[in-house]
Amino acid sequence: MSTVGTKFDSAEDLRQYRAHLLAQYDPAARRVRVCLGTGCTAKGSAKVMERFCRAAEEFGQESLVVQAKSTGCHGFCERGPIVVVDPGNVFYENVNEEDVPEIWRESVIGGRVVERLLYKDEASGETATTPKEIPFYSAQQRIVLAHNGVIDPTSIEEYVAGGGYAALAKVLGSKASRMEPEEVIEEVARSGLRGRGGGGFLTGRKWRSARDAHGQPKYTIANGDEGDPGAFMDRSLMEGDPHAVLEGMIIGAYAIGSSRGYVYVRNEYPMAVKHLTMAINAAREFGLLGQNILGSGFSFDVRINRGAGAFVCGESTALMASLEGRVGEPRAKYIHTVESGLDGKPSLLNNVETWANVPPIILNGADWFASFGTEKSKGTKVFSLVGKVKNTGLVEVPMGMTLRQIIFDIGGGIPDGKAFKAVQTGGPSGGCIPAECLDEPVDFDRLAELGSMMGSGGMIVMDEDTCMVHVARYFVAFLKDESCGKCTPCREGIAQMLDILTRITKGEGREGDIDTLETLGTLLEDTALCALGKTAAYPVLSTLRCFRDEYQTHIREKRCPAKECPGLFQYQIDVDLCTGCGVCRKKCPVQAITGERKKPHTIDWKTCTGCGTCFDVCPFSAVVKV
Amino acid sequence: MPTVTIDGKPYQAQLGETILQVARRGGIWIPTLCYHPAVEPYAACRICVVEIDRGGWWQVVTSCNYPIRRDLTVRVNSERAVRARRGVMELLLARCPESPELRAIAARMGVDGTPYPTVTEAQRNCILCGLCVRVCDERIGASAIARVGRGVERSVAAPFRMPSEDCIGCGACAEICPVGTIVVRMHEEEVEISPFKNRVKLKHCAECGRPIGSELVHKALADRGGPTLVELLATEQFCPRCKRKQLAKEICTRHALRDEPASRGA
Ligand SMILES: Cc1cc2nc3c(=O)[nH]c(=O)nc-3n(C[C@H](O)[C@H](O)[C@H](O)COP(=O)(O)O)c2cc1C
Ligand code: SF4
Ligand code: SF4
Ligand code: FES
Repeated sequence: MSTVGTKFDSAEDLRQYRAHLLAQYDPAARRVRVCLGTGCTAKGSAKVMERFCRAAEEFGQESLVVQAKSTGCHGFCERGPIVVVDPGNVFYENVNEEDVPEIWRESVIGGRVVERLLYKDEASGETATTPKEIPFYSAQQRIVLAHNGVIDPTSIEEYVAGGGYAALAKVLGSKASRMEPEEVIEEVARSGLRGRGGGGFLTGRKWRSARDAHGQPKYTIANGDEGDPGAFMDRSLMEGDPHAVLEGMIIGAYAIGSSRGYVYVRNEYPMAVKHLTMAINAAREFGLLGQNILGSGFSFDVRINRGAGAFVCGESTALMASLEGRVGEPRAKYIHTVESGLDGKPSLLNNVETWANVPPIILNGADWFASFGTEKSKGTKVFSLVGKVKNTGLVEVPMGMTLRQIIFDIGGGIPDGKAFKAVQTGGPSGGCIPAECLDEPVDFDRLAELGSMMGSGGMIVMDEDTCMVHVARYFVAFLKDESCGKCTPCREGIAQMLDILTRITKGEGREGDIDTLETLGTLLEDTALCALGKTAAYPVLSTLRCFRDEYQTHIREKRCPAKECPGLFQYQIDVDLCTGCGVCRKKCPVQAITGERKKPHTIDWKTCTGCGTCFDVCPFSAVVKV
Repeated sequence: MPTVTIDGKPYQAQLGETILQVARRGGIWIPTLCYHPAVEPYAACRICVVEIDRGGWWQVVTSCNYPIRRDLTVRVNSERAVRARRGVMELLLARCPESPELRAIAARMGVDGTPYPTVTEAQRNCILCGLCVRVCDERIGASAIARVGRGVERSVAAPFRMPSEDCIGCGACAEICPVGTIVVRMHEEEVEISPFKNRVKLKHCAECGRPIGSELVHKALADRGGPTLVELLATEQFCPRCKRKQLAKEICTRHALRDEPASRGA
């Protein structure tokens, strides 16, 4: 059989290699896993990793195998940097450099738990040792993220040892057991998998069209452009489990008869590019990419392409134009890209997360996959949970879980005792879902019925202090900047909407503005060229549907009920809370505050400009918004 | 041969033809701005939208590039289609309120003004239909001008917003522009394509010294063994001023200077 560095000539080779890796694996060996995902790295986990590596090096004791390794995102970014110690799967949160010696001495070498760095439940005060005991993790169902935080993404050996490329081996197995391309497509179709990139298109159906399309070569493409603000699902997958994406692509390429592939990665993701590059090189070396994969006669290779840095480049036709070296601008899709895409050839484009779902489906079967989720949305979905929620991070849940479960059970609810107001799903052109709908199940169709969408899985939680007009304006402003400007309605219409929303948030709204917004919304949906423009009004239309009175209060009473729009509410000093310390009086830039020392102060509304300095500086929270 | 039913009347169509082609042949007017038979459809202005029957629901599509592949039922003058086209025109009028050409089309569509304020700086009158860029690229092969910037900041300019060195001064862009944004200015020794500030040397009449047209166009025509500038101009009876325009029109529609022949019907 092959050993490291030599090519696998058959699926059997791969199986034997895995057996060899597992035989070598010592479950008692001490291992430290440091998260090097986006969130943890931002909080300094690279330094933590460095300290552990040094400790491991200096620890020259032969009898004890000690390993420090980096992993992709664990998901619980709120509590990062995250460090996990094996054996025992002991989970430490908020670890900084100074904590390393203690963890090393006590936990790694001593096998004792460092209590103070464990997760502690706020309500009960109980600590959790392993992720399983933490509500954030226990309610999740990790299929796509199964390897994230567990394996070292730069090591193909770890991926293989964990069952990686077994799905590919199943597909391209020995002659007798090989799956025909049709069988692969059938399996994916039966699983009910739908595209995770936004549209929710049935993946099996797309593959079939790509297989049936005439023309060679056929292209297999992974969409890793991920331009939604705040989203990092695809990034975490590419960084944390790049082989899973590749394995999915190789299987898909075999199914449709494609020999060339591209991974289109957002330019701002250097670590994703690095890990994917390493994965591709390793896969080539092992004979999992390139000519005659696993001796099956099937050949396929992948190249990485860096995105052009625009949100619209994630749109399928713009992405393909960009791959061709042209301006990343959408074109009409009256002829689908599976028939005529990149270079006018049949092209199969799927989202990164869609691809990563393929290996588990092939390995465990369509029925297994379809056992998760709802009638028409199978499997799980990864969400990036951000905004006014305690546990921000990356979560993977079965389709059909309710918004309440995601936001409150996993997300831990709203911080600072505030009330939940709405959740925005689906990325910049998604919609806002109000509190009344918290018990709705999250799947493709239900979210659409609620006037929002699944999108790529962004979930932004908003509390009672959030002004919905302001929110709509924020997203419309984003889309205005990201519109490519090719077609009239999107280019001109979004700018007009933004103009109106800006006026409303400044208290300059007029009767008729709401009608105009709705007219523009319909116009965009009907006439814009690509989905960016077609859905650009959703943030406005969905907030108009559920929070119309908030718009009206802005327009008619020049008041912002959430007290977020500057100038549309007033600051007042609560006489019971004011101690007369005088800080606000001294800090007010326009001398609008008067009062004697140790006596309650007052704000003169005529002079006040609403800058909010007093609100920020009062040590007793005596300045309130009214 | 597929049958295209437009507003209740059947028309015969060729496979691959667009809705617009069938409609025009049938004498049905659908406004267009970014469409020109000389170049590939681009479907950017969205003024030509119509509704098609998708079996249970009606989809709004651009007629200028929607290919006919089977029998199709189309509504050009339904309430929704008319509202959509007018909505697009109102947005364009807010951007380019001054263009008489645009206002004429608007009037024909029953739009006499726009409810929207002018919220963006626009290149004078340019509706960003992209025809100039495409004719320069697809027919002339010069690619001297391009779309720069994105969103409402987008405009048409030579690369880096500097005068282009690739411009041959043919004036095809000015000829094809539906709203008169591009102007060809004749100077003593040079022809200037405004607003791009492209300048190209003029060829002069051997006899009287009057300018005939761009030297580079003359050379490009001669290089490909086609009719020369002088021959082209001699074929028609036009005054000197109109000759240049006529030539640009010829190049736009019949004598592509680029290698691949553009074989598209009107
Ligand atoms: C403006 C815009 C941006 C998009 N960005 C992305 C993206 O970043 N990643 C992605 O996978 N799909 C994106 N999409 C969706 C893609 O066009 C396409 O539908 C998707 O990649 C198909 O893969 P799927 O079937 O696996 O979902 C975007 C669409 C639009 C209109
Ligand atoms: S809808 Fe917007 S992003 Fe899409 S083609 Fe039109 S201008 Fe470009
Ligand atoms: S200059 Fe004229 S032809 Fe060129 S994009 Fe503008 S309107 Fe169209
Ligand atoms: S003429 Fe059809 S979109 Fe412009």
